[in-house]
Amino acid sequence: MNGYASAGVAVVLTGVALAVGIYLVAIGDRLLASLVGGGGIGWRTAVVRPAQRATLLLLQQRLTTEPSDAPGWALAPAFFLALAAVALAMVPVARGRAAADPATGFVVFSAAIALVMIAVFLHGWSPDAALPLHGAYRYGAQALSFQIPFLLAMLAAALPAQSLSIVDIVAAQDTVWNVIRTPLGLPLFLIVGASVSSWGPVNLADAADIAGGTSAEDSGVGRLLWQTARYGMLVAVAAMGGALFLGGWWGPLLPGPFWVILKTVVLLLAFLAAGHLLARVRTETFVVVSWAVLIPLALVNIFFTGAFLL
Amino acid sequence: MNAPSWTTVLFWFFAAGGVITGYRVFRADSMVRAAFFLLASFAATGGLLVLLGAEFLGMVLILMMAGEMLVMAIIMVMYMMNPAGLNPMFMVHQHRTSVIAAVASFLALAVLPFVITLPARANPRPVAATAQLGTELLGDSMLVFQTAGVTLLATIVGTVALTSRRGRYGDAEEGSKEPPLEEEAMESP
Repeated sequence: MNGYASAGVAVVLTGVALAVGIYLVAIGDRLLASLVGGGGIGWRTAVVRPAQRATLLLLQQRLTTEPSDAPGWALAPAFFLALAAVALAMVPVARGRAAADPATGFVVFSAAIALVMIAVFLHGWSPDAALPLHGAYRYGAQALSFQIPFLLAMLAAALPAQSLSIVDIVAAQDTVWNVIRTPLGLPLFLIVGASVSSWGPVNLADAADIAGGTSAEDSGVGRLLWQTARYGMLVAVAAMGGALFLGGWWGPLLPGPFWVILKTVVLLLAFLAAGHLLARVRTETFVVVSWAVLIPLALVNIFFTGAFLL
Repeated sequence: MNAPSWTTVLFWFFAAGGVITGYRVFRADSMVRAAFFLLASFAATGGLLVLLGAEFLGMVLILMMAGEMLVMAIIMVMYMMNPAGLNPMFMVHQHRTSVIAAVASFLALAVLPFVITLPARANPRPVAATAQLGTELLGDSMLVFQTAGVTLLATIVGTVALTSRRGRYGDAEEGSKEPPLEEEAMESP
């Protein structure tokens, strides 16, 4: 079952899903922040505030650094957002249906995740300023460390389907979800998913301790686009996590798209809660744990999946 | 005149894009820009591979090159003489040698289309290219690839063993040991 929706349908579907998801993340983040940290803002404020903030950033003056690499600086957020759209387009939305389901959807998604390191590095490099550069190098260390455990975790999810097509991978979860067949896959995937979006406890590139890292020099529309792209990547990763590990469109009674959305929202809530409840790890800890703990765990996970299938 | 098909448009997009970004690699004045132009050139080549029906190879090329180019950019910046590689620099040295090498390799590659037999069909039939590739890698060519893989692994282990003997806190064999808090008498250099 490999195919593509017509180009117009695919673009509109992905664009609308991405835009709605990004706005929901912005609302949910504010609600959870007030829930955890007090300050009690109501529903209406939470819904209106992201639009106000976006408008403010659109109207704000865009400041640049003197020796900046202007094309790279302008390109990085657009590239990041495009990668989020590519990743989201691979997610099956209903039984046997996705905006794009190439035979190698697995590799396309992984390539989008890998290219995020280029977008983040470019974003931190091009302002030619100390703190963004610091964030860029941090992300380089982080991304190169999680790449192998990430691919191994994804591989374990593809094993039961014996296919690299995401629709086939979801279709193979009709009796038992991958979260049971590859128990360590989802946690590994979520760690990486938060990392590529520079989110919560593994937000090293845009961290508060380096004053926003790669986005420290951003202002105006550049800042708006970069934050939008980060939220978009979070949405894409949550949707893909639901498809790869939580059975995608499979679920009792209700139609497939409902389950896809529900699973995406549950994973998004987990990301948002982690962002407000967990402390940020240090770069050294992340790198050491990735190489020394996550890679062996991911290999154990693959062996477990293989044994389960045999 | 027929309207060009999407495949034709995409072919020229990727082909021209690959050549132009490849040229820009040598005209860039910064290591990071050069590395990212090279990545763009590789991505265009990956697009051409996908058009040829080798979907898996094309996408894996893009997937692998993302990490490789970042590593290359960081390591080259580390080796730059100017601070952090931020000053402008030239990518091309030994101009006459480079021109001769470029012309020679272009001629060597340009001969290829004339000496090989091209397939009759312009567009390849859709085939299960990924499955065929897997069968090839784990079938007839397994020995070659496994040998190459083990050799590369041995190289990595050897490089790490050779370079990481002396760490900041002492020799690697002794385990990492933090320096004592009290000041030690410095030996004369």
